[in-house]
Amino acid sequence: MDNLEVGTEGSALQDSAAIKLDKDKLKASGKCGEMRSISDPCWTQELMPPLSNLCLQSIVSNFEENPIVEQLRPGEKDFILKHLFTDLPLHMTANLISDGVYWRRCCERQWDLCDVSDYGHSWKRMFFERRLESMIELFIPDASDPEVILDMVQHCRDYIKRLSISQLLLSDNESSADHFDFGILLDKLTSLEELHLIYRVKKCGMNFEWKMLEMSDRDCESLAKAIESCKTLKRLRLQLSNIDDNQCHLLVKYLLDHPSLRELDFSHNLISDGGAKAIAELLTRSKLEILNLFDNDIRDKGAKAIAQALSENSTLLSLNLRLNRVKDEGGQAISEALLKNNTLHHLHLGANKVTGPTAVALSEVLAQNNILRSINLSCNNLGELNEAVVKHPSFRLSLC
Amino acid sequence: MEEVDMDPEKASEPENVEVKSRVFTLEDDKDPGVELSGEMSEKRLQEREKISPRRITNLQRHLTTLVTNIQTAADARESMRRKELEEARKMRLELLENDMKSSQEKFEEITRGWSLTKEKVSAQELQEALNNQQLLLTSLLEDKKKVIDELQQELKLGDDHFVKDLKKQAEERDLMLERMEDQIKTLTKAYREELAQTQSVNQRETKDLLTNDTSDWEQRMKKLWDTEQARLAQRRKTVEEYEAKIHSLIFETMDKQTATKIEQNAKLQVLEREHQKTLASIIVVRLNQIKEKHELEVLTSSRVDSLQTEKKNAVAKPNNQPRKTSQSLSKDYKQSVQQYERLQKKLKQIVVADARTFEEMWATVEAEVRQLAERALEIDSLICRQHFGVAWERPPMPLAASSSSFHTERQTHRPARRAVSQLYHTEQSLQRSSQRTTMGVDAETESADVDHASMGGTATQSEGDAELEDGTLTLETVTKVMELLWEEVGFLMEDDPTLLASLEKEEQTAIKLGSLLFSFGIEEEDLPKLAHFLLKYRQQQSEQTERVCDETGESSDQAAAFDPTSDLIHPNHVLPALKSFLNQYMKSRQNSCQSSVVHTEGRGSSEDKAYWESLGNVIPDSKVQLWEEAEKTLTQYIVILTDICALDTETDSLRQQNAELRMLLQQSLNPQVS
Repeated sequence: MDNLEVGTEGSALQDSAAIKLDKDKLKASGKCGEMRSISDPCWTQELMPPLSNLCLQSIVSNFEENPIVEQLRPGEKDFILKHLFTDLPLHMTANLISDGVYWRRCCERQWDLCDVSDYGHSWKRMFFERRLESMIELFIPDASDPEVILDMVQHCRDYIKRLSISQLLLSDNESSADHFDFGILLDKLTSLEELHLIYRVKKCGMNFEWKMLEMSDRDCESLAKAIESCKTLKRLRLQLSNIDDNQCHLLVKYLLDHPSLRELDFSHNLISDGGAKAIAELLTRSKLEILNLFDNDIRDKGAKAIAQALSENSTLLSLNLRLNRVKDEGGQAISEALLKNNTLHHLHLGANKVTGPTAVALSEVLAQNNILRSINLSCNNLGELNEAVVKHPSFRLSLC
Repeated sequence: MEEVDMDPEKASEPENVEVKSRVFTLEDDKDPGVELSGEMSEKRLQEREKISPRRITNLQRHLTTLVTNIQTAADARESMRRKELEEARKMRLELLENDMKSSQEKFEEITRGWSLTKEKVSAQELQEALNNQQLLLTSLLEDKKKVIDELQQELKLGDDHFVKDLKKQAEERDLMLERMEDQIKTLTKAYREELAQTQSVNQRETKDLLTNDTSDWEQRMKKLWDTEQARLAQRRKTVEEYEAKIHSLIFETMDKQTATKIEQNAKLQVLEREHQKTLASIIVVRLNQIKEKHELEVLTSSRVDSLQTEKKNAVAKPNNQPRKTSQSLSKDYKQSVQQYERLQKKLKQIVVADARTFEEMWATVEAEVRQLAERALEIDSLICRQHFGVAWERPPMPLAASSSSFHTERQTHRPARRAVSQLYHTEQSLQRSSQRTTMGVDAETESADVDHASMGGTATQSEGDAELEDGTLTLETVTKVMELLWEEVGFLMEDDPTLLASLEKEEQTAIKLGSLLFSFGIEEEDLPKLAHFLLKYRQQQSEQTERVCDETGESSDQAAAFDPTSDLIHPNHVLPALKSFLNQYMKSRQNSCQSSVVHTEGRGSSEDKAYWESLGNVIPDSKVQLWEEAEKTLTQYIVILTDICALDTETDSLRQQNAELRMLLQQSLNPQVS
């Protein structure tokens, strides 16, 4: 408060000076006032900031010792938020300053491209999410201190809804192939809803090693446990991580009883029939709505297992089996399952090995099923098409 | 949103589709360009408005088709690649298996060879077998090497293929980027065109609206102006009418009054003349009587008693007749006097009544005007206070003072008013006489001494002296004085001498005297006073002249001229004496009435005019202008207020609706909570 008083005194002096000038101006006629402003081009009334502005500036400069925000009036609050330093410690600002100008300034200072619409139009969420993501992406196991991340998480746990991590570094130790352990993090993020993970190293250059592009078994187990502990998670994306059947099995084992998971995305992995069977088991038990197994190695056995699960499932809305190796056997199994299923809206069987019989079976399905909205059978060698497929109303079919 | 591609060939050639779609977009682009270059008539614009959203949706659909096409193409390629890979792997595996089989055979052969060599004893044979084995081994090794080379070559090919694929993909990516940019460009162009179009449409609409509104506004303003001006003109007209009415009323009343006055005057004059005539006749009769008496006395004194009886008879007889006539005349006279008095009274009453009506008229008109002025001032104050917010000062009010003074004056003058008519006549006559006197002063003085020598008798003179000393004058002295007066001043009268000549001398003098007195405005009662005054004047004058004569000893003519008239009054002094008497006599009357005269004359004066004008101009022109401006603004204000009033009901209903909705909301929320 001492600073505040000093500020008021100083501004009072300046105000008196301004008043004197005003009086002088009044004494002189209008023309003389103009003359004055002409003769002294630097003189303007804006040079004399009002007392309130000086007070606010002193609040800004002493914010770390004495944070005052909520007591102020809206206009003053705006001023403060516009002029606060963006490098203030997070433990102060995280819970004190609500979403708005300040966080926008923080974001724009750190990143050039800021599309706030991706973050629910919340600058604060954007700031914390991106900050945590960058921290995790640059985390080196055994070398970095996990306490830094944990300290950060303490302040921002309420604001992070999504983590989209595009790389995970390995430790320098040659023998270890483990990545960042999510077990210490995920149970603390109480409002996390989406988790996107890619186990790889960007820009590895000539230091390439295969282990850079895959997750180890220990990674897999710790991640599975971490996901199980995170009860709010709705979407899990684990892409480009070279997950094989065993790892998939392990992950699914922990996901079986997850209360809130709605979307699972294992695209661009190496899951084949074994993993597909595990996922089929998951389909029967969880409430998954979207399953994305794009670009894997699922063949007829896996497709059959999934079709079996699909015939019993009543939650799945979208199934993507694009770029797999499903043949007519699997395709027909899925078609038969769709005869029993009443929920699936979208089915993608593009770039598989299904041919005419599957198409015929699907056309029979379409004659009965009113729920399906789109089937994608592009990049399959179907042969001649059945008329019934084409003529189905309110239905989108992509065949290439 | 049906998107069905029937052509299976397109699965393998997705680029074909892209090209087609590109061509389609180009066509789409061309069409609006042609339209733009053509006439931008309304119909076209409307058509375009219909077309443009469809076009944009088309463009947007193509945007995604490009990506999906590319994706499917990539998928197809990937699946093809995988198929190839699988086939290659299969072939490789077969090849390796074959190789393995053959090499195993060879290896068995070699091992068999080794067992055979153990059986060999000779060195040459051994050498041969060894060479054979070596050959076999080298062939095996060569086979292996061949396979390895093949595999390596395959690997190299795969690498090359991979690099090629990468390059191809990079090229494709670049192409895709280019296409996307192109698409973005076309899309932005389309958006811009649509924007410009909608802007132009909007601008035109707003312009139309604006012009309509302005014209409407101007019309209404003009109407308002016209009505205001008409109203103003009407008001002005009414004001003028009222003013004219007031003026005409004032003039009417004035005219009426003056007409009645003149009438009354004429009547009065007639009556007075009659009265004078009767007076004169009475005087003549009296004089006759006096003469007769005198003669009788003379006769009685000169004749002896012997004749007394005769005389008695003689006297009794002629005396009866004049007495009778005189009696009748006096009766007539009395009657005429009474009539005169009655007329005078009537006149007074009429005058008073006139004055009252005039007063009342004045008062009512004034009150009305004052009320109007007060109202105007009140309105002015209201306007000032309520609409300009300026403190209102009451303008100086000359009317209050003047009117009040008028009332006070009026009250003081009321009693004096009754004398007005009398005074009026006296003044008139006075003026006339004074004029004449001044005219004939010289003639008088010259012809003064002609008759008096013969006329005057010593007896009468002494008698007059005695009587003067007593303070009471006998009839004789009075008549003498009158005669003298007549002779001195009679020439002033214009009466026809022929008319007089027909009468007896006594009658003549009587009539003359009557007219003289009338012209002087001296009443009969005042005659003795006049005589008295004249006698007194003579004494004073004689004393003065004697003194003068003693002192100077000159002017024997004057003394000679003085002597004969010394018995009664010097004829030369008659006129000045008369003048002085008249002055004296009039003063007393004038004093009492003068103020009232001034007042009546002041009635129509400039002061009143100014007063009325001030009443009319209570609200100055500047203020009237101000009022007009205020009225203008007020009418505008009223229009706005009425608008607000109309909107008020709307807001009320909306508020009510709001409250109801809130209630509903709460009701709907509460059960959920509970």
